[in-house]
Amino acid sequence: MDYKGDKYYIEQILSGNSNSFSYIVDRHKNKAFNLAFRICGNHEEAEELAQDSFLKAYRSLKSFKMKSSFATWLYRIIYNTTISHVRIKKKGVLSLEDFPADATDFIGSNTSEEEAEREYRSSLVNFALQKINEDERGLISLFYYEEMSTDEISEVTGISKSNIKVKLFRARQKMLEIIEKVEKKVYQFRE
Amino acid sequence: MKRLKRKYINSENSEKAPEGFTSNVMTRVRLETLPLTTIEKSWKKNLIPAVSVTVTFLLIASAFLISGSQSDPLTNPLLDLINSLKSSIPEINISSLFRLSVPSVALYVIIGILILTLFDRALYGIFKREK
Repeated sequence: MDYKGDKYYIEQILSGNSNSFSYIVDRHKNKAFNLAFRICGNHEEAEELAQDSFLKAYRSLKSFKMKSSFATWLYRIIYNTTISHVRIKKKGVLSLEDFPADATDFIGSNTSEEEAEREYRSSLVNFALQKINEDERGLISLFYYEEMSTDEISEVTGISKSNIKVKLFRARQKMLEIIEKVEKKVYQFRE
Repeated sequence: MKRLKRKYINSENSEKAPEGFTSNVMTRVRLETLPLTTIEKSWKKNLIPAVSVTVTFLLIASAFLISGSQSDPLTNPLLDLINSLKSSIPEINISSLFRLSVPSVALYVIIGILILTLFDRALYGIFKREK
């Protein structure tokens, strides 16, 4: 079935057809889950947070102004919900030792070399992402994974464009440093 | 700026929502509509005491009306009925049993309590069945 656009389904919901919300959830679920996961770093928590965010969006759908983008509005809810959750439940800082030197803990035994390399890189980024603070994590996720512009990120987070650029630069530097350290450790192990 | 993305991040790395995500959200959305039925149920719950209060008030009011209008032709048949009921019930001299003087209105009070109790049980039965 063709997706008729967020606005159409929102109008349907507001006129009493709550089942139309399933089309909206279906449309945005992957991006919502991905953003929550990148910030909190846990699949179960990300699912719960993404669901909570959709529920919050449903409850306050009446307050949504049709002039702005629904996706941006939804991202703002997900971003705020996840960031608050992470701040409350701040976990112990990951140690560099937490990343397995043989890098096989997360690689399936029956995957090809190319797939294994991809999985390894993905885990490496996730690891580095969990080492930076939650605000930076949110910005990296929105910029790289959701491919949002700094204007859109500013709308979602309420942070000024110039501040976003500075924070993104710092976050990238931190992540690259972490990745390089981990890679060095992995190469040392392999040699 | 693009170094991090080019080397480590690509769209394939994006996490997908788990299976059943939409249906889980929709289940929670449907539960959101439950408070409406709860409101309806609490309204029904309040109906029982409201009816009981009304009936009690009517009984008390009718007792005053009957005693205050002995000559009223409309209430006379009702008084006759009560009197015949009184005569059909065998008289028990309670005062001799407890050596206390019990006012005659006690009979009306006892009958009232019995009627209210029966009424309460009947209402309780009806509403419990509905649940």
